[in-house]
Amino acid sequence: MKQQNSQVSCAVALGIALAFVAQIAAAGPSERALAKRMYDAIAGVPPDETTLDAMEAKIPSDAVGAALMATDDPAFYNVTLKNLVTPWTNRDQTVFAPLNDYTATIIGMVRDNKPFNTVLSADILYTVNDSTLPPVSNNNNDHYEQAEAKNVDLKAKLVETQQSAVYGTPAAATAGVITTRAASAAFFIAGTNRAMFRFTMLNHLCHDLETVHDTTRPPDRIRQDVSRSPGGDSRLFLNNCIGCHSGMDPMAQAFAYYNYDGMDATAGKMVYTPGVVQAKYFINSDNFKPGFVTPDDSWENRWRHGQNTVLGWKPGMPGSGNGAKSLGDELANSDAFAECQVQKVFKTVCFRAPESNADRATVKTIASDFKSGGYNLRRVFAETAASCK
Amino acid sequence: MTREKTMTGLRLICAFLVTAALAACSGGGPSTVQNPVTSAPPVADYNGPPAQNADVQAFKLNLWQNIKDSNRCGGCHNAGGQTPQFARNDDINAAYTAANTVVNLSQPDQSRMVQKVGGGHNCWLASASACADTLTVWIRNWAGASATGGKQIELQEPSIKEVGASKTFPESSASFASTVYPVLHDANKGNCVRCHSSTAGNPISPFFASNDVDEAYAAAKAKINLDLPQNSRFVVRLRDEFHNCWAPNGGGTDCAASATVMQNAIQAFANSIPVSNVDPNLVISKALTLYDGTVAAGGNRFDNNVIALYEFKTGTGTVAYDTSGVEPALNLDLTSPDMWVGGWGINIKAGQKAKGSTAASKKLADMIKATGEFTVEAWMAPADVVQEDAYAITYSGGNDARNFTLAQRAYQYQAMVRASNTDANGMPAFLTKDADRDAQASLQHVVLTYDPVKGRHLYVNGVDTGDPDPKGSGGSLADWDDSFALLFGNETTSMRQWKGLLKLVAIHNRALTLEQIQQNFAAGVGERYFLLFSVSHLVPVPKAYVMFEASQLDSYAYLFNKPTFISLDPTADPGTFPLKGMRIGVNGAEAKVGQTYATLDTTVGGANYDKATGQLLSNVGAVIGLEKGPLSDEFFLSFEQIGGNSHPHPDPDGQVSTAPVVDPDPPPARWGMRTFDELNATYARLTGVSPNTTSVAATYANVKQQLPTVESIDAFLASQQTGIAQLAIAYCNAMVNDNTLRTQFYGSVDPNASSADASVRTAIINSVQAKIIGSTSTQPDSTFVASSLTTMFDGLSGASAATAMKAACAAALGSAATTVQ
Repeated sequence: MKQQNSQVSCAVALGIALAFVAQIAAAGPSERALAKRMYDAIAGVPPDETTLDAMEAKIPSDAVGAALMATDDPAFYNVTLKNLVTPWTNRDQTVFAPLNDYTATIIGMVRDNKPFNTVLSADILYTVNDSTLPPVSNNNNDHYEQAEAKNVDLKAKLVETQQSAVYGTPAAATAGVITTRAASAAFFIAGTNRAMFRFTMLNHLCHDLETVHDTTRPPDRIRQDVSRSPGGDSRLFLNNCIGCHSGMDPMAQAFAYYNYDGMDATAGKMVYTPGVVQAKYFINSDNFKPGFVTPDDSWENRWRHGQNTVLGWKPGMPGSGNGAKSLGDELANSDAFAECQVQKVFKTVCFRAPESNADRATVKTIASDFKSGGYNLRRVFAETAASCK
Repeated sequence: MTREKTMTGLRLICAFLVTAALAACSGGGPSTVQNPVTSAPPVADYNGPPAQNADVQAFKLNLWQNIKDSNRCGGCHNAGGQTPQFARNDDINAAYTAANTVVNLSQPDQSRMVQKVGGGHNCWLASASACADTLTVWIRNWAGASATGGKQIELQEPSIKEVGASKTFPESSASFASTVYPVLHDANKGNCVRCHSSTAGNPISPFFASNDVDEAYAAAKAKINLDLPQNSRFVVRLRDEFHNCWAPNGGGTDCAASATVMQNAIQAFANSIPVSNVDPNLVISKALTLYDGTVAAGGNRFDNNVIALYEFKTGTGTVAYDTSGVEPALNLDLTSPDMWVGGWGINIKAGQKAKGSTAASKKLADMIKATGEFTVEAWMAPADVVQEDAYAITYSGGNDARNFTLAQRAYQYQAMVRASNTDANGMPAFLTKDADRDAQASLQHVVLTYDPVKGRHLYVNGVDTGDPDPKGSGGSLADWDDSFALLFGNETTSMRQWKGLLKLVAIHNRALTLEQIQQNFAAGVGERYFLLFSVSHLVPVPKAYVMFEASQLDSYAYLFNKPTFISLDPTADPGTFPLKGMRIGVNGAEAKVGQTYATLDTTVGGANYDKATGQLLSNVGAVIGLEKGPLSDEFFLSFEQIGGNSHPHPDPDGQVSTAPVVDPDPPPARWGMRTFDELNATYARLTGVSPNTTSVAATYANVKQQLPTVESIDAFLASQQTGIAQLAIAYCNAMVNDNTLRTQFYGSVDPNASSADASVRTAIINSVQAKIIGSTSTQPDSTFVASSLTTMFDGLSGASAATAMKAACAAALGSAATTVQ
């Protein structure tokens, strides 16, 4: 009987669902509807009637303020932010990866209105204040994984600390989420550390390397492992490889002292060897013997000239430096970084990528506010939800 | 002239001796000196006076024996014949004296005899370079330890050439198609198409007469001189070398007329191309072509025991010559003439191989069995790292019978050698460790050695891979079959294809030592030149040059390496001056891609400058695209600053596109699906059931990845709705089964009452309406919700209120009222 009832319910639910879709499609937005829509989009859960009343009343005078009310819902942190950030923390870009220190740190920064342009450079970490959890460790992810399994209220339980204090990473070597354990396990593992640069570009500047391809940059810092005549055809190098590597290699050099010691994300830790370039920077050195040999962790942004000036690098910054922290600062202060954060939020709360001229103008405006307003990402959610038509 | 006199008499005007440290091929070789391999048979037909000393005897055995025949030098340079009579058969001592006038024992490749034959003088092979290389080996063998080969490079001051205005081949083949191509391709106008087309009966590369005009254009570029049409290879070949001319002239053909037709066509093509003048504002060096440089490749290899050597210098035709100098020459037949690549090498593609005759291959078995050990050395670039059962170099008779094979198996190298402790197929195979990934799709120096003690051993780029022979040691090679053939790129059965580039293959009948292998690795491979770009007009230093070690990297690019500032005046002191932003120019313009030295910013002179070796400006090499070909491409250097001369190179910023985009039509949906975690949180929030409840958590774990993962409503699937229904039912079931939660949601409705009761139905509908549907105008209409739920209750056939509660709750939770946002 129970099974029969379930089947009945299921069938009815399906039928009603389709019918309700038709009902909704015919409706138009009102202030109350806008309030519900904003709340749904930001928090991922429907509002209660009291909150809805308050938001409805606030919208005429302060739509952004009304939208900000939705960011007080714990689901905004446990659901919306977590699922926005999780794909950035692994190579497969899957949303089904476990909660980790990368995700938790961003959630905490948004909750505490931290300047988001420090996300790639600060000595910052958020842990979960819950005595039933295993202690946070630089060698495993148990602390965060169990917090997620227990549905711990992240809004209430996240506490700010420093990577240098918890993980023992030298403060100067910390670089926001770049040097979290999760990012290290995903992007410093094996390989050549170029993955960290590529995924940071992808996740925080919304540019994969194809879109910043520029063959006119000097190739003097392309490492030895890049064949200049792949398969005996140097045209491939001169027309393709050089376009990304000429810009990427001088910047990925910032990660020369980092490595991940472990087979996967479940066990292992980030390794930092100040003054000693990791062996991975010298692999396959016979592929092109006259290639660049990495001497240290100095980096240079070759894209401050040429076509990639369109990424909007912040004037007044040196465009070069040593280590991941200063590189993170360079990247996170670009116009592309600000616009990328807004684009991602736009997609989350408007359920579509900015496609029309109006959408693009909206993104530009909010990105400008984001920069001038102290890089408050929580407010970006509110502004975007309020302007999503 | 004595050997010493010959050596001291070598004086090149303004020549400068560069020490060993400067040249790439400068590493010191091992001290062990072994007798070179020779195959000179007894001189049965020589009845003259005996050799006066050991050197004459060495000349006799190593050089004279190989050139005395009438089909070689002996045909003319014999007793009573043309002078110098170094191949005379009547007096070996007189022949020796004559030979000393045309050889350079300290640098055999610089011998007059070699240069004469290399220039086309009565070479007995189809390739003059193969004859020259073979002669070099014979002379080097004669010289023995006194030959220095390329250990010391004499830099020759190039003639000063201004950077000329020049023409560059256009991208499009259109103009070529209407001017030169008709002469090449039309059988009524010329003869080229009869052979130089891939569809010809006997196709001969290059295919500049191909039916595909683009293919023809690509092949023809190297044969056309746009600036001097009369110097085009097409014209020279007809006018001076009388190669298959066609213009009728009485009963024969008129090569001059044919050449004129060709030259006029090229002139017409050249006239259609504007001259590119070098920017007068640039600060530039003097100009050079690749072949204006001093040859840097070369003679510092350890080849004392080489018995077959392939340097692939010929570049055309279908024969890869064995230039080891060990007779008989084991020349290889190529499947296709299109296997040649620029800068010396062959590229073996699918269906291709290089194969020697069994008769000539016999020398390998004979000479290796005599020593019981051997080495296979190759400069090779596998086309990929996925090919398996790929036999790169094999001396074998089929899939199951071989003497030796060097093969590739994905990232591993494999070696099979027939010996007393292996089978006739060379099994068990030697294999490098998979994890080491020794085989890479880039140019590698791969050496397989075999000796009776260690067995098979493999070295990649001068490093021992450390993999042991699976048999623990070697064995006897006495059972080798001398009826097998040497092949590159495949098995005799054509069933073991290896694809990739071979730039040099050497077979030695000794196991090379690690030191010798590293010497050969350091010697490098391919055609390399020292290019001396004159900058004396830019800095106050006499005979000042920026020198590069340049080579053709492959068929499409040049490699410029080790830029060095140097004065060929050993007394010159450059003082100090800045050198900044150096760029390589090709044919009147700076190359757009590959300007490695654009970031160079250094000071020349002072403690950094060594009068003997100059000053190395950068450790990094530059790859510059090939345009017209190595014969014609004219290079120069340009500087942002050198000494007191400067010309800034502004780097234009990118432009942000301001063009409006086309708005999507229809516009994308403004609604989205709740995703998996959102649904879970929503259901927990609406029902009051904790997501940690065992039954709910278990269902969620089951359906989590079945639920929507993206908001896009266009991506919504029926299977996702099934998962949504399961999760909704799990939450509603848990809520109704919990008295507290049920009461919070449905109030005082008795779960045991009948669902047919109207008051029960109303209470349930009202609760669902208030707790799940809500009051927003975008939510489903309340009348519609009540009507739908009533219809559902009717279908429950009087089941309990609890069942109706679960059903109503699940229907509402699983509907678009909550799943759509």
